[in-house]
Amino acid sequence: MADFDLRRLVPPHVRAFEAYRPSNPDSELMRLYGVDHLHRLNNNENALGPAPTVREVVDSFPPGAVPVYPNGDCFDLRHSLAGRFDKDAERFLVGNGSCEVIASVIKAFCEEGDNIVTADRTFAVYEWVAEFSGIKARLIPLKDMAFDPRGMLDAMDERTKVLFVCNPNNPTGTYWDKATMDAFLDEVAGRAVVVIDEAYCEYVDRDDYPDGMSLVERHPNVIVFRTFSKMYALAALRVGYLCGSVEVVDMVRRTHVVYSVNTLAQRCAQAALENDAPFIAATRAMVREARELLCPMFDSMGLEYIANEGNYLMVRVPMPDTLMYRKLMRKGVMVRTMTGFRFPNWIRVSLVQRPVMEDFCRAFGQVLDETA
Amino acid sequence: MQDRDQSVSLKLAAEARFIPLVQGVVEQGAAAFGLDRGKALRLTMAAEELLSHLAETSGGVAVDLTLTPGGWCVRADFSFVADPSDLWAMNLAAREDIGPGKSMDRLGLLLAARMSDGFEIRLDGRVVHLELRQDHAYEAANPRPVRVVDARGEVVMVDDPEPALIREACALAVDHYPAHLVNETFFTPGKAADMVARGDMNAVVAVDSAGTLAGLMVWRSPSERSVGFCGPYVFVRGGGTAGFLEARMLATVARTKAVSLFSELGTDDLTAENYELLGRLPLGRPGPRGDSGLGDGPEGVELDIRFRHLREDSGRAVWAHPSMRSFLEAAYDRLVLMRDIREADHAGANLPERSVFSARLRPELGIATLAPMVVGRDADRAVADHVRALTRDGYRSILFRLDLAHGWQATLAGSLADNGFSPRLVLPDAGMADVVVFLHG
Ligand SMILES: Cc1ncc(COP(=O)(O)O)c(C=O)c1O
Repeated sequence: MADFDLRRLVPPHVRAFEAYRPSNPDSELMRLYGVDHLHRLNNNENALGPAPTVREVVDSFPPGAVPVYPNGDCFDLRHSLAGRFDKDAERFLVGNGSCEVIASVIKAFCEEGDNIVTADRTFAVYEWVAEFSGIKARLIPLKDMAFDPRGMLDAMDERTKVLFVCNPNNPTGTYWDKATMDAFLDEVAGRAVVVIDEAYCEYVDRDDYPDGMSLVERHPNVIVFRTFSKMYALAALRVGYLCGSVEVVDMVRRTHVVYSVNTLAQRCAQAALENDAPFIAATRAMVREARELLCPMFDSMGLEYIANEGNYLMVRVPMPDTLMYRKLMRKGVMVRTMTGFRFPNWIRVSLVQRPVMEDFCRAFGQVLDETA
Repeated sequence: MQDRDQSVSLKLAAEARFIPLVQGVVEQGAAAFGLDRGKALRLTMAAEELLSHLAETSGGVAVDLTLTPGGWCVRADFSFVADPSDLWAMNLAAREDIGPGKSMDRLGLLLAARMSDGFEIRLDGRVVHLELRQDHAYEAANPRPVRVVDARGEVVMVDDPEPALIREACALAVDHYPAHLVNETFFTPGKAADMVARGDMNAVVAVDSAGTLAGLMVWRSPSERSVGFCGPYVFVRGGGTAGFLEARMLATVARTKAVSLFSELGTDDLTAENYELLGRLPLGRPGPRGDSGLGDGPEGVELDIRFRHLREDSGRAVWAHPSMRSFLEAAYDRLVLMRDIREADHAGANLPERSVFSARLRPELGIATLAPMVVGRDADRAVADHVRALTRDGYRSILFRLDLAHGWQATLAGSLADNGFSPRLVLPDAGMADVVVFLHG
């Protein structure tokens, strides 16, 4: 066999990067932890879904469509989005989850020596994609659990290409109101692209919450990210998209892989947009009820928690979060540990239907009693 | 491209006639890299000892000698491709059977180790590395009288602390803590600062709002997947310094390759709820540093070993020898760690004739840490020989680490049990998989 020097072929920033390892499939986890059920409270999925319109598409999906390639750039879905938001379909770019469009944006704007600016304690994928692409991620500490606009502006230099703002933030649920967002965008003044990740926007019911879809009209440097994985409950199908000015989207499209979104995903996403108001209202009610169950319990236990927008909350536990995870898994409850989000000893819990939340409360209380 | 390290290398055959050549290269190279004369000579003698060992045991093998300046040290690395059947000669205890009519009258490797500040035998694929380390001479810090003051205002972390600040923080740790809890390098603060500057050790420093040093914490990565820390060292009253230091460390290591974090020297100031207690390990006996603070008895002291995972544990399979099964089951049950235990035994396996163990020696503390590189049919005797040789050389704490990712390593537990070792603790994800630490005696 010829010598194959892998190290020589792989750039240093890739060698140094640690691949994200998703957890084992549920069946394997259930076997290892010796449980016969597993409540998934770790990925902020919407357990109420999918909406009836989506179920119909799934049930009637014709096997004859399987051998055929999907539409390469989600033509129909982009036109549905265009109609929904009253914009040109060319202003939308759909990806295999919004994670894929994060990568496309960084590839489109950054080259060696450039940097991106985001928060230290937010969705990790902005930082990861930058680092494994050899781009420096400048991580600004959260201030009062929220993105710090001043800190981000101060961190900008002439090599800053993209600022990522997660609004509302995963995992703290904080958001910038309209005034904060406007002041920030005015001060960036077009010097860099501002990505506003609105993965959880449909969960926010606040008058002062800025709508990215109108911000892109006033600011040509703004790109909005949205996803069908969260509120619309299509996580298994992987569909997310971005929206910006025609010129910006045209640049990002150049670095974006076509045909990455499958046919079923495209059709379900379109169906999810149809008459979505009742489904969104029902989901919001479910999340509200879950929050109202958990917060008083944490109060009574004297535990610190962060419960703002989004279908999740965080609570600080009196032990390593990674130990709490194992103990809850033994009881059939899977939560997200927060050490990796730089919140050691915090767990994040997705807010779902009442019976599951009650199971969580019981398991959580038992673990604390056992350790006390 | 310029070689940042400016290392010097030499290719030669392991033959006695090249000893003067190696002496010359090491002595003059070490001097060029700034080692003082006494230290350069010690490195030279150790290198000479190694080459003659190789000439006796593996005569003629092609050796690469690399001399590398490490900022705070100089390393001499002898590497060569060894035929698996010849590897045994790299055992610390190797002395017999070196060929027809020959026998070694001394343990060259142990001699070389004794003259060095660090000594390591490891296998990298098929390449054996014998690495000697000699540290630069640094001014020593001696404990000064302490006066603990209240923190003034808010305690904050210093970003990219200056070397001078790190040196002062090390000296304060020496003042404030019993020596056995102080990271060894702090006794020579200049060395600690140089190690931090080169990225061989990580440090976080905290100050209060008056600029008074409030605390220090250090850590390093003994393996790709693990982090070991010392501290937190706190110099002021109040202000939550320990918690801030730990939080900064956790934030820094949280998105790296590291899976597990361990306390190497955990102080009483650490935040207990940040960790899980694994058990206790001996810290060694009083060292040559005079009053090392290691306690009165010759047995020295033991220290709690704490750990936390940095990621969710999704369970895994581990190998175990039947003799350690009940120990493992109890440990995993207590730690709520899900493991499929697979039994591995010698039975029927086509084993090589002889075993080879890697070794990390800390002569100043009397600690030897061994791990298997090859487990052969002679495992029982090899373990016994190592214990004998190390005990004779003054090592009182002999530890053996088995990585349960490998069935062949797990099989060694039988020989360890037969030779007076017992399993003391499980270090989750400290190696490729969990590592079990055995202690002799
Ligand atoms: C803030 C945020 N953005 C983006 C995503 C990625 O969503 P997807 O790739 O499923 O569209 C997530 C998912 O967890 C998220 O929390």
